[in-house]
Amino acid sequence: MIRIVTLSEFPPDVIDFVTRRLHAAYGMGCELEGEGEIPADALDDEQSAYDAVKVVDEMDDDVTLYADDKIVYLTNEPLTAPPGPMGRGPVDGYAQYGGGKALVTAHGLSDKGLPLEVGLAKRAAHYVGHLWDLHHCFDTRCAMHPGWSPGFAAYPEVALCLFDREKSERKIKLGSS
Amino acid sequence: MATKTHEPVIGDGSLHIGDRVVYPNQGICRITGVETKQIAGQNWEVVTLSREEDGATVMVPKGKLMGIGLRKVADVAAIERVFDELAIPNTDPQLDWKVRHRENADRMSGGGLFGTVEVLKGLHALSRVRPLPQKERELYDNARHLLVGEIAAAMNIPLHVAEDNLDYALWPPPGMTRKGRPLPPATLGPPSPARPAAEDDDLGLEDEELGGTEEAVAPAAKEPDEEEEQPAPPAAHKAAADKEKSKSPHRPPKPALAKKARPAAAKKAAPVKKAAAARKSAPAAKKAIPKKPAGKAKAKGKR
Repeated sequence: MIRIVTLSEFPPDVIDFVTRRLHAAYGMGCELEGEGEIPADALDDEQSAYDAVKVVDEMDDDVTLYADDKIVYLTNEPLTAPPGPMGRGPVDGYAQYGGGKALVTAHGLSDKGLPLEVGLAKRAAHYVGHLWDLHHCFDTRCAMHPGWSPGFAAYPEVALCLFDREKSERKIKLGSS
Repeated sequence: MATKTHEPVIGDGSLHIGDRVVYPNQGICRITGVETKQIAGQNWEVVTLSREEDGATVMVPKGKLMGIGLRKVADVAAIERVFDELAIPNTDPQLDWKVRHRENADRMSGGGLFGTVEVLKGLHALSRVRPLPQKERELYDNARHLLVGEIAAAMNIPLHVAEDNLDYALWPPPGMTRKGRPLPPATLGPPSPARPAAEDDDLGLEDEELGGTEEAVAPAAKEPDEEEEQPAPPAAHKAAADKEKSKSPHRPPKPALAKKARPAAAKKAAPVKKAAAARKSAPAAKKAIPKKPAGKAKAKGKR
């Protein structure tokens, strides 16, 4: 089951669209679990964005998880991530690879030229994919394609490519539940 | 089976119990010990490794340890060189599949860091020309998996951050630089060809989608003449994609259509507070939203 926790206000129809798309993409149940609050101390040093890794690690919620349940936190806040070898780049979410928690932001979607719910659903499908150990995909239509590339806005359908679809199905079938 | 454990010299003496090493094609492992195993009546000294990804145990005969390409995790300087290499665009992929297959197989079995980088980079460049066949797609994913794991281990950063950085080099976002040199931003590559829709692709969401979202998605000008020329969407959700196709733009070279979608995004962003107020006044209604998909999943026997 994919459980959605909102950390900001979203219109109900947007959440509705996201749950349907996640259900369609992974063939798993998906529901809104409730609301949460983004940890205030997860703000980065410049106080301009939230450290995505800290948010996921420090999130204090009482969501009951069963085996293979995944939590997706949705927020409107800008996110950042620890700098890597390439420095800092665009960050629209964070996921624990092969883990259970992911964070997705709707921040910056208005610049992409996509409707809010479509962009958010595509990002959520991307990060849920990481929770199932999927890597980035070169297929521009695939939801696992990097979110900053032009393919994200050019292909608004929330779908996985054949390879990622089969890989996620294998992972889900092998899941402990 | 195990008869004794002791503190031995491992490999050429540079490896110790507890070291993190890279096993070719397996990823990051930790040396857990050296044991003597009795196999087919003979005593074999084997080095045991625990794969960090899933805890699987790998046993290697001590005498063959260095021959299989086992090596220590790369240091930060080597990772920096990897990114220098990745940031140089590869515009000349090997097109001869026989040569490519042989070279890539040698690089992967060799287990070297830069061999893996070459495999990833070469296949990435090829994917920009044409979609990869299944075997090479798997190889691409495997090389990416190994590289992301090693970068994360070497730099002590989360796997997600490692993969994002890898793609900042392969698919540079606008404004990305490497050592002060601006990288050319990623362009739209070719999409993969479609596969025929599977039976379970139709999840019966069409009717429900119409209700809640039709006004949110920007209407697109339909051009039936171009339909046949365009590759079909990835068939993972052909039904859903068909629905999207009819109401939203998904062809790359149409900035005008993308602009059309903007008012819709702005329109949706505005009512957030209004909807939030409505949700606060009627919290029970909010809980009712997601029950449909969850219930549907159970009814359809999906997980």
